[in-house]
Amino acid sequence: MEQFWLVTGKLLEGFGQNCIIFGVTLLLALPLGLIITGGSMSRFKPLRWFTRTFVWVIRGTPLMLQLFVVFFIPPLMTNGSVSFGRMNAALIAFTINYAAYFSEIYRGGIESIPKGQYEAGQVLGMTKAQIFGKIVLFQVIKKIVPPMGNEIITLVKDTSLSSVIAIPEVLMNAKDFSMSGLIWPLFYSAIFFLAFCGVLTVVFSRLEKRLNYYKG
Amino acid sequence: MAILQVEKIRKSFGKNEVLKNISFSMEKGDVVAIIGSSGSGKTTLLRCLNFLESPDGGKIMVNDKLLLDADSDTKLSDSEKRKNRLHFGLVFQSFNLFPQYNVLDNLMLAPKLAAKKQLKNGGSYMGCTNRKDAMNYIQNNAMALLQRVGLTEKAHAYPCELSGGQQQRVAIARALAQSPDVLCFDEPTSALDPELTGEVLNVIKMLKEKGFTMVIVTHEIEFAHDVADKIIFMDKGIIAEEGTPEQVISHPQNPRTKEFLSRFSQNFKMD
Amino acid sequence: MKKWTKLGAVISAALLVSAMAAGCGSETAPTEESKVEETSSAAQVSSADWDDIAAKGKMTVGITYFEPMNYIDKDTNELTGFETEFAQAVCEKLGVEADFQKIEWESKEVELNAKTIDCIWNGMTITDERKENMDISVPYMENKQVMVVKKDNLEKYQTAEDMKGAKVVAEKKSAGEEVAQSDEFFAEADYLSVDSQAKTLLEVKSGTADVAIIDYVMSIGSLGEGSDYSDLVVVDGKDFAPEQYGIAFRKNSPATLEKVNAAIQELADEGKLQEIAEKYHLEDLLLVKPANEATNSDADATSEAAASEEA
Repeated sequence: MEQFWLVTGKLLEGFGQNCIIFGVTLLLALPLGLIITGGSMSRFKPLRWFTRTFVWVIRGTPLMLQLFVVFFIPPLMTNGSVSFGRMNAALIAFTINYAAYFSEIYRGGIESIPKGQYEAGQVLGMTKAQIFGKIVLFQVIKKIVPPMGNEIITLVKDTSLSSVIAIPEVLMNAKDFSMSGLIWPLFYSAIFFLAFCGVLTVVFSRLEKRLNYYKG
Repeated sequence: MAILQVEKIRKSFGKNEVLKNISFSMEKGDVVAIIGSSGSGKTTLLRCLNFLESPDGGKIMVNDKLLLDADSDTKLSDSEKRKNRLHFGLVFQSFNLFPQYNVLDNLMLAPKLAAKKQLKNGGSYMGCTNRKDAMNYIQNNAMALLQRVGLTEKAHAYPCELSGGQQQRVAIARALAQSPDVLCFDEPTSALDPELTGEVLNVIKMLKEKGFTMVIVTHEIEFAHDVADKIIFMDKGIIAEEGTPEQVISHPQNPRTKEFLSRFSQNFKMD
Repeated sequence: MKKWTKLGAVISAALLVSAMAAGCGSETAPTEESKVEETSSAAQVSSADWDDIAAKGKMTVGITYFEPMNYIDKDTNELTGFETEFAQAVCEKLGVEADFQKIEWESKEVELNAKTIDCIWNGMTITDERKENMDISVPYMENKQVMVVKKDNLEKYQTAEDMKGAKVVAEKKSAGEEVAQSDEFFAEADYLSVDSQAKTLLEVKSGTADVAIIDYVMSIGSLGEGSDYSDLVVVDGKDFAPEQYGIAFRKNSPATLEKVNAAIQELADEGKLQEIAEKYHLEDLLLVKPANEATNSDADATSEAAASEEA
């Protein structure tokens, strides 16, 4: 029993790191994604081209590689004088990666709104900002809640990738136990993810339900 | 004095010339029905009137006031377009109600935004100088309009809970809430099941009796015949024939008109 | 999980190559094996590498958790182990603090080159490849590869014939893998690589593999009563590829290397090294002896002899 609490404590400590990465990534990537969407839907071609290439690169390469790049490339290029530190590097890589994914979900949501909604707003004399804020935005939110929920639950599990730059997250701690002869913590660590994702699933299904007062 | 004058409107999409020098005018209280096969340019003409498309040339005047001179070099700014649009209302083929708002809020959304803006700038909205009066006015007006289209009891329903015919009637009320000079309909019954078209057409008939000025693009020849003061038959971007329903529908002169109408007479008994 | 760890190995290998290319750019290519003794006696070399560490006041020691070398003590919840205490003792002699940084083993060379760590002090086997890429201290401890099987199967895996069709696992790129792939004893066996030594044990325990080839030192820490692997045993008398442990520094760290080697000898002379080793039951494996009883073995001679030795 004593061992159980020791392992739980150690894994919880690790899961704290996962939670930090999750929280900060979500907080920064949600607005950053919107900015990227603005770029990738811009009528200014070079900006659109640049942003879409950026999104392609970020979505087209493994997050693990991005973690390596953000953490190791600066010190390697500067002979060790510039380094973000492990946690900062993880936060930067995760934020950029998830912002790119979010931006595509946003874009899909915005593009799925029928042209007629914009035109109805226009003929009623509304400004572009009013049309976006009062008509389109809410419909977009309703459309993107399910895919965003999906992506956010993926983020919970992806936080474990941070162990490749030696962030002492829960899975790494669990692996350490297996190094010293304890196997069960490795499987026990699943509980933490399951619990977290369970909470998120409930939150998102409630949100979906609340948005379901209308169809379309 | 003509309430609406359209002069030599031209519009091309790429190489495709959709409108070739369209001109017509109408008096206050007139109902003009525009008929023609699809691709004849009638919807584009309506969209030009509502500033959803920018004509390549021509003029649009309302109450002798020049709203658009596409032949001049100056382009309309967004805010000018917005102002001009308020002279027109548009009822879409696919209703385009805002799904997240209930019926009443669909009607009040744009007026409320306009009222807020005008009051903020120290002006008045429909004679109201404070916010509460303005909001009251807007709500009462919206309820009155709902009564007019017979949907008072649906004020708090959401669009998805309404039939197509009811949705279109809400859309008409929403357009009327802006008190436009000219109310335009873009095939208002095309998206409806046949049994639901009647309720919408009845509302339009009722509006004619109240003296509203309307431009109606429609495939309902019989209805156009009954309700319109003037019929415009468009073909390949030009007005091929225009005149009273008697002239254009009952006694068409242009062979194109005859051909077009003959397709409908198979389905409808004319006169 | 397995999938991305494998991917990680590939990526880090790629990064490693580029890192090394960058690192080697300014230097002349390393000559064969630089003899440790030679390097340490070269007094006139630059000391910039040590100055950096002295200026920080600490040496960042790259480790992974692995009992009994570096691990978290279950009672005190603090980092401990043979290497931990050894590193602390050496750093104390050098007047700097030992700052332990956990790393991913596959990225150790990149970590060194990125200066996110100053050394790898984690029961690292000295290999020719590593000697080319890093500066390595005197060999201070020996190690060997041993076979681990289920207790019930102990009789089943004794001879090379027994190995026919047996599933053998080892850590990717480890000395164990080297043995599994090149030693004739395993010629008839099916070999599978996994990404850590711990996983090799897991494979054997779960029955997905029959034989794990792991470090002897690792087996001391992982097997035995009280662990989840108490049903696994080391096959007696089957030792392979004796090898030696060393501390790795960034290439071109002559001053640091000299200081660390001197400190290790001092610790041996004082009996302190022996004392730490005894605490973790590793005293028989120590290679650095007090000066008065020193055998003064040539590191390369020993390792070459060991490599050609067949079990």
